[in-house]
Amino acid sequence: MSDDKLLVVRDLTTIFATAGGDLTAVAHVSFDLDRNETLGIVGESGSGKTVLSRTIMGLQPRVNTTVSGSSIIDGFEVVGASEDDKRTIWGTEVAMVFQDPMTSLNPVMRIGKQIDESLRVRLGMSRHDAKARAIELLELVGIPSPVERYNAYPGQLSGGMRQRVVIAIALACSPKLLMADEPTTGLDVTIQAQILNLLDELKDRLKMSIILVTHDLGVVATRTSRIVVMYAGRIVETGTTRDVFYHHRMPYTRALLESSPKVSNKSHTRLVTIPGRPPNLLNLSPGCSFAPRCKYATDQCHSERPELQPSIEPGHTFACWNPLPVNAEASLP
Amino acid sequence: MSNFGGIEEVAELALMVEKPEKSEPLGLFFWICVFWVGLNIFGAIFANVLPLQNPLYENFNAINAAPGLHHLFGTDDLGRDILSRVVYGSRISITVGLGAILIGYGVGAPLGMLAAYRRSRFDAILTTVMYLLLAFPAIIAVIAILSFWTPRSLFKIIVVIGVASIPLVYRVIRTATLNVATKDYVIAAKVQGATDRRILMKELLPNIAPIALSFFLIGVATIIVLEGALAFLGLSVNPPTPSWGNMINEARTVLSQNIWLALFPSLAMCLFLIALNFIGDRIRSHFDVTEVKL
Repeated sequence: MSDDKLLVVRDLTTIFATAGGDLTAVAHVSFDLDRNETLGIVGESGSGKTVLSRTIMGLQPRVNTTVSGSSIIDGFEVVGASEDDKRTIWGTEVAMVFQDPMTSLNPVMRIGKQIDESLRVRLGMSRHDAKARAIELLELVGIPSPVERYNAYPGQLSGGMRQRVVIAIALACSPKLLMADEPTTGLDVTIQAQILNLLDELKDRLKMSIILVTHDLGVVATRTSRIVVMYAGRIVETGTTRDVFYHHRMPYTRALLESSPKVSNKSHTRLVTIPGRPPNLLNLSPGCSFAPRCKYATDQCHSERPELQPSIEPGHTFACWNPLPVNAEASLP
Repeated sequence: MSNFGGIEEVAELALMVEKPEKSEPLGLFFWICVFWVGLNIFGAIFANVLPLQNPLYENFNAINAAPGLHHLFGTDDLGRDILSRVVYGSRISITVGLGAILIGYGVGAPLGMLAAYRRSRFDAILTTVMYLLLAFPAIIAVIAILSFWTPRSLFKIIVVIGVASIPLVYRVIRTATLNVATKDYVIAAKVQGATDRRILMKELLPNIAPIALSFFLIGVATIIVLEGALAFLGLSVNPPTPSWGNMINEARTVLSQNIWLALFPSLAMCLFLIALNFIGDRIRSHFDVTEVKL
């Protein structure tokens, strides 16, 4: 693979052995990520986006999990690597921002110490240097009076502040890739924008790449260059943000877009919903997983699974037997 | 002129205000209990320095004496001073209680933490073994072993009860750790490159400490009762060494002549246990860091 790609994911598959049988949470996912790029992974709950993001960095449960394919972060093959080896890239190459800042900070450790930890352990800084750097990081993520905050416990900060601390921890060892798994879902709407803007700004300032995992298309709309749409563990459409929003071919992408609320709607407009429910991953049909909920579905959709095929724009692919016509509706969001 | 500060000041204040800790106050009774437990332990340690009569001295001029100036708690059927024997008896009870639970924690706690953190086959096998041990009534095992493992000594009693307490400690610590180990901050520490040892010591241990401490105290209390039961059956330290349990046992035979001999050791044991249990319970609820309170 070419050297300029930060992340190369090929045919990545994650299977959990459960009491009910093998559950394929992520199936044959492939994509690349450039340096200093933001990629959005969108999909409903249970579409495998969180498992995918964790598998990419090699963070899957130790038991009952089979991972195949390959995920190469800056030349390091994550799949099959030992915990000890993965530890060498965790924090320094790839770091993670969690969904819920209420649970992603240790409640009994001062926030400064939590940032210090990785600085001292991973970068071998002295106590004094680590503290100075931690305060710098707190300042970087926009925490007022960082010197006082350094000694605060997580319980003394608001949700938005805590998420900033979580970001500061993730940034401590200057990772090249930041995994943000629903980083704003647990926050107020006004704070959401602040945190997303902060991530955006940090990305440019620190020259890193971000993978933004979310179910909220509004979150990825203006901040990502490319989007991966997932359904039932598979990529169903991928392309530049512009293509996915305006030239999508997959009816699922369309349905997702239609179901996000728009400011231009009149008040009391009913939200459009996708009928049916996400498929049971233990019992997938041989055809397209979305077929049961799709209004365009034909017999072929139920019996044969569509592979990803290129659309007319470069880099834009989709998996559908009955795609929407090119440039179907350029007026969506 | 106005009483209100500028907007910056208000904003500053809003940032500075720290959410009040909503945990329950410990309360006066808690401190009374701590004082009582402290007093008992102090008595146990300094029994031979304190101005007490010899617990083994048999004063035949004062047999079954009622409490009075000379013998504050009275005397037993051999004329021994009950106060002195209760204080010396606390030595045995507290030593057995602490010693045994320390063995239980020394083995059960690290295993429980490790099992909960590592999961996989290690956890499966260990947990099955521990649950099998739990299914067997511990008191019967303890009685059986102590009946045959003679001559009895304080050390043997502590070891047997301590080993019997391992599965219980294991279960409590494992459950507490399981709760914490799946929290995001543990995963967060892991993806920052923290080693397993660091995660166990810095992320898991501090977060299960309140539960561990609380169960520790309740464990001491339970073991003191167990020692009492063993003494009552004559399976604890040999007379004439006093322990709360064997004093109550001796009192059984002379209950009609001497109520004090049964009353004071029972009272001492009872109050000590109430205090321990209350402290344990209070600690648990005080440090109960739930999501709601965060």
